[in-house]
Amino acid sequence: MTILAGIWAVASELVRSPLAPGPADVARALLTGIRDGTLVRALLTSVVRLVIGYGVALTLGVPLGTALARSRLVKQTIGPVVLGLSSVPSICWLPLAILWFGLSEIAIQLVVVLGAALPIAVATENAVKHVPPSIERAARTMGAHGPRLMLAVTLPAALPGILGGAKIGWTFALRSLMAGELLFVSGGLGQLLETGRDLGDTALVLAVVVVIVAVGRASELLLFARADRAIARRWGVEGA
Amino acid sequence: MIASTKGWQGARAVTPEAPARVVATPRKGASIELDDVGLRVGPEGSEVEILRSTSLRVAAGEFVCLLGPSGSGKSTILNLVAGLAPPTSGRVLEGERPVSGPGPDRAVVFQDAALFPWLRLRDNIEFPLKLQGVERAVRAARSEELLRLVHLWRFRGCYPHELSGGMRQRGAIARALAADPCVLLMDEPFAALDSQTREILQGELERIWSATGKTVLFVTHNVWEAVRLADRVVLMATRPGRILHEQTIDLPRPRAATDENVGVLVAGIARRIAHEVEKVAREEADDAWVAPRTGRGDDPRWDMGGGI
Repeated sequence: MTILAGIWAVASELVRSPLAPGPADVARALLTGIRDGTLVRALLTSVVRLVIGYGVALTLGVPLGTALARSRLVKQTIGPVVLGLSSVPSICWLPLAILWFGLSEIAIQLVVVLGAALPIAVATENAVKHVPPSIERAARTMGAHGPRLMLAVTLPAALPGILGGAKIGWTFALRSLMAGELLFVSGGLGQLLETGRDLGDTALVLAVVVVIVAVGRASELLLFARADRAIARRWGVEGA
Repeated sequence: MIASTKGWQGARAVTPEAPARVVATPRKGASIELDDVGLRVGPEGSEVEILRSTSLRVAAGEFVCLLGPSGSGKSTILNLVAGLAPPTSGRVLEGERPVSGPGPDRAVVFQDAALFPWLRLRDNIEFPLKLQGVERAVRAARSEELLRLVHLWRFRGCYPHELSGGMRQRGAIARALAADPCVLLMDEPFAALDSQTREILQGELERIWSATGKTVLFVTHNVWEAVRLADRVVLMATRPGRILHEQTIDLPRPRAATDENVGVLVAGIARRIAHEVEKVAREEADDAWVAPRTGRGDDPRWDMGGGI
């Protein structure tokens, strides 16, 4: 890290262009942004959006994936639609969302939810399909059936795969949100990036990128590291 | 497990602590009856006959082994009794009551143990009780009793992947007994284990069976295992699955592989099913396959066209 920062500092000194700010400039931009509150406000706006959109995506994606795995009717009707839509980059929905909902939170959330829910649904479908049949048969012989079987046995058994989908969903949500905010004047880190471009402030742009990296890493550590450890403890190396 | 691995001696019928521990297992075995049961699967027109009009009666508390090559419908019979699948024709009865679906009165032990990987051993064993809404204190007492019965009390806090195959299988037996079933259905429970562990678990099962008095229906493709454990061995034939022969094993327990009477029975049964085993092997191999001459296929009744 230190060596890389050193090389970066030397390189930017050699170039001596406002387009190539050194680490000191970026750090200064970060501090300014924190002190005057612009960066903090943007971060809060983005994180709140992310949490809401991701929460909605999870509550839609997991049941949808389960239904795709278990219901032939759902698979035959919605299955091809889900597969088709999941290959569309979610940002492509933004124009439509703006036409429908205007420049509103709903429009940007639509992009985030679509971006995250579909990969979560696809991963959940796979995970549920690959639950060993003997696990469910065993549960059925104990008298479990219907929703009870699903909630107490099938979903826990599919958890490692669902968690994998949840992780992918999170990164998709973050990407969709950033893309949405870039194109859409409404606060948030994405818009701050756009502001940096308008002002020709490369240091600010890089400072925002640093914050986005930090958000990604922090969510990895806070949200998923513990879940990963718990899965590894229960399933052994397999689930890790 | 500290039991001796010297062959059948690990099978000593009762260990000192066991009988006193099983007091809270009051439900005895129930009888099972298959009355002219058949099963066909597949789309109409191109159905496959899995099981052809099979009738079988298992008395309460009896230990019956279903023995045969793959595709002979042994596991199918188990599934029908478990209620996991309905028969196409005929009736399956438990006691006087027709089987209409799975229920905790008929517990199943699978070949791969099928313990739930996300639950500790103890929670696995309490799971069927939790399903029935049994309160926590009762569950705890019951799981302790069962864990001690299968000698896994020390490992109660382990997750299944931390246990050996034999330990997982003993755990699965404990879980099957948790809801105090009348019938224990075992689908090749020891087939995936090494032979020493298998011998030990056979002994354990014999001990648990004699202590609890449950009815056991046990599927295996191992002749010695069947002769060692069963009151009665039911030989199965393939394509379609059906009963070939029933053989009562009227020998004192525990039975040793070295016992002359046991040896005679094992050889006799092996000879009877040799033809069926060969038939399956032939279907699963290409035309160049020749049945090995084991010296068991010399019964003229089964030597159909062997010399052509």
